[in-house]
Amino acid sequence: MLEAFANFGISWLDPWLLMLTAAGTLAGIYVGAIPGLSVTMATSILISFTFKWPVNDALALIAGVYMGGVYGGSRTAILLNIPGAPSAIATAIEGYPMAKRGEAGEAIGLTTVMSVFGGFVGIAALAMFAPVISSFALMFNSRDYLLLGLIGILLVGTLSGESFAKGAFAGALGVLIGMVGLDPMTAEGRFTFGSISLMGGIPYVAAMIGFFGVAEALVQLQTLDVPAIKQKIDRVIPKLSDVKRYFWLAMRASGIGTIIGALPGTGGDIAALLAYDDARRSVKNPDVPFGEGAKEGLVAPEAANNAAVGGAFIPMLTLGIPGDAVTAVIIGALFIHGLKPGPLMLVETPHLFWFTVGNLALANIFLLIFGLTGIRIFTKIVECPKAILIPLIIVLSAVGTYAIENNPVHIYWMLLFGVLGYFLKTYGFQVGPIILGVILGPMMDSNYRRAMIGARGDIGEFLWNFVSHPISLVLSIGFVLMVLSQTPLWPRLLKTIGLQRQ
Amino acid sequence: MSGQSTRRPGELAFICLLALFSAAALWQAYDISEFTGLSQPGVFPMLAAATMLLSCVFILRDTLRTRPNQEPGQRTAFWHTIMPMRLMVMLAMVALYLYAMPWLGFVIASGLFLFACFAYLWRKSLLISLLLAAGSLAAVYFLFRIVFEVVLPQGTLVPAGVL
Repeated sequence: MLEAFANFGISWLDPWLLMLTAAGTLAGIYVGAIPGLSVTMATSILISFTFKWPVNDALALIAGVYMGGVYGGSRTAILLNIPGAPSAIATAIEGYPMAKRGEAGEAIGLTTVMSVFGGFVGIAALAMFAPVISSFALMFNSRDYLLLGLIGILLVGTLSGESFAKGAFAGALGVLIGMVGLDPMTAEGRFTFGSISLMGGIPYVAAMIGFFGVAEALVQLQTLDVPAIKQKIDRVIPKLSDVKRYFWLAMRASGIGTIIGALPGTGGDIAALLAYDDARRSVKNPDVPFGEGAKEGLVAPEAANNAAVGGAFIPMLTLGIPGDAVTAVIIGALFIHGLKPGPLMLVETPHLFWFTVGNLALANIFLLIFGLTGIRIFTKIVECPKAILIPLIIVLSAVGTYAIENNPVHIYWMLLFGVLGYFLKTYGFQVGPIILGVILGPMMDSNYRRAMIGARGDIGEFLWNFVSHPISLVLSIGFVLMVLSQTPLWPRLLKTIGLQRQ
Repeated sequence: MSGQSTRRPGELAFICLLALFSAAALWQAYDISEFTGLSQPGVFPMLAAATMLLSCVFILRDTLRTRPNQEPGQRTAFWHTIMPMRLMVMLAMVALYLYAMPWLGFVIASGLFLFACFAYLWRKSLLISLLLAAGSLAAVYFLFRIVFEVVLPQGTLVPAGVL
C-alpha cells in the first residue's frame, strides 16, 4: 500500500516529471483545440520522438497530452462551433449558443471544472477496479484474448463508421497489415515477396502517422477556406452555485463515461454523446431548452469524456486491449518501451501502474489550472490558418516516421498509408479500426494458434472450448450478439422473442 | 445502417479496387502455408483476407443500392470533389519532398517544402511565406534536434558537419 502511494507520488515530487506533465497537458489542450490536429495524431508523432527517453518521462508527457487533448476539443466547440475533437460534438451543440449569447467565458469555465471532476472520477475508478479486473484476467485463456481482440476491433468498427461492413473491412485490413513480416512462431515469411525490408514487418508507427497525420492533413485541404468566427470572453471562473447545482448530473455523467471508456472499443466520443443523451432525457426543466445553450447539456458530455480517459486505461493496462484509437497508439508506445500491458503488468511492474494513476491525476490538476487561464492568447492561436498547419503536420509526420529507425523507407510507407487513408476516409471508412487491427492482429494470431494447438488441431474441440468454459462462453455470446445485431436477422429475432417495440 | 443515399463520385470503382486487393491478398495468404493445418502461419492471414473480401461484397451491394450521381458532369465531379487540383499539387509536393529528403537533407528539403506550400496554399506575399517558412523550420529544428535530440536526415549533398 505504502509502496503504491510512493509510486503514485513520483511525478508529483520530481520537478522534471512535473514539468513534462504540465507541458504535455498544455500542449494537449492546444492540440485538441486546433481543428485539424488530433490527440491521436499528436500521440503517434510523439511516440517516435520519445522512444529513447526513460519510460517515466515518456509516459508523463503522453498522459498529459491525452488528458489535455480530450478536454481541448471543447474550447473550439464553444468558441468556433467546430468540435476540435469528436468527443466535443455534443459540447458544440450547447456551448456555441451560449457563446453567441456572450457567455463564452462562463461556458469554458463550467466545462473546465466539470471535465476535471469527470477526470477524477475516471482515475478513481482506474485505481479501484484495475487491480480487481487484472487478477480476474489472469484466469483468461488464449481463446479469451482472441475474442477480446475481435470484440474490440468490431466495436470500434461498428460504432464509428458508416456501416458494419466498412468497419469490419477496416479492422481486417489492419490485421492483414500486422501480419506482414516473419511469423514470430515459425519464422516463415508472410507477404514478404522476398524483400528484406518487408521481413521486419510494416512499422506500425508509420501506419499510425500515415493514417492519422498525413491522411487527416489531406482531408483538411478540402476545408481550407472556412473562416473562423470570433467571440467575446467574459468571466471564466464558474459560479459556485452552478457547480453545486450540477454536481449530481456530473457524477452520473462521469459514471457513464467511465463505464463506456472501460468497454473495449468505445472511448470519449461515444461516452460524451451517450451522457448528453442521458442528460436530455433525465433533466426535466432546464433553464434554457436543450439545443439553445443548456448548461446541463454542456456539463454531461464534458464530465463524461474526461471520465472515459481513466476508464479507457482499465482494459488497456489490465487486458492489453485498447479502448479506442488513442489508447491503441498509447499501447504502441508501451510496446516500444518494452512493456507488456496485460494482466501480468500489475504483478510484474506495479510501480508503472501506480505511476500512471498518479500521473493522470497530476495532469488533471494541470488541466484545471490551464483550463481557467490563458483563454485570450488561446483564441489567437487557434485562429492559425490551415494553410500553415497542413504543411507543418506533413513535416512533423515525416520527421516522426524517420526518427524511429532512421529508415527513409518508412517515410514512403507513411505516404502510402496517408493516401490510402485519404480515400478510405472520403468514402466513409474509419481508420481507427485499422490501427486497432495492426496492434491487436499479431496478438490475436498467436492466441488463435495457441488455442488451436491446445485443441490438438481439432476444429470440433476448438469450437467446443469456446462454449464449455464460463469466461469464453460469456465472451462468445457477446461476440455473436454483436455480429447478429448488425444483420437484418436482428429485428426479426427481437420480434420473435417479443422485445420489439411497436 | 447505411447512412448515405447518393453515391460519391468514384466510389464504385474504389470499392471494386478494394475487392480486387482483398482477393489478391487472399491468394497470397493461401500461398503461405496452403491448407496444411489449422495452426499454420497462413491461417490467420487467410481469415483476415477472407473477412476483407466478404465485407467488400456487402459494401459493394450497399453501394450499388445507392443512387448514382445522374448529373451530366459525373466524370468531372470526381476531379472536383475527390481529387481536386489543390490535393494533387499538394501530393506532388509531398512526394517530391519525401523523395528529395535523403538527398538534400532534412533542413533544406523541409525549408523548400514549407516555403512552396505556404506560397501555394496561403497566397500571401512571397516574403511573408519565406519568413514564415524560416521561422517554423527554426522552431521544428530547435524542438526536435535540440530538445528531443532526434537524428534528422543529413542528406548526401551537404558535407557532414555543415548542418
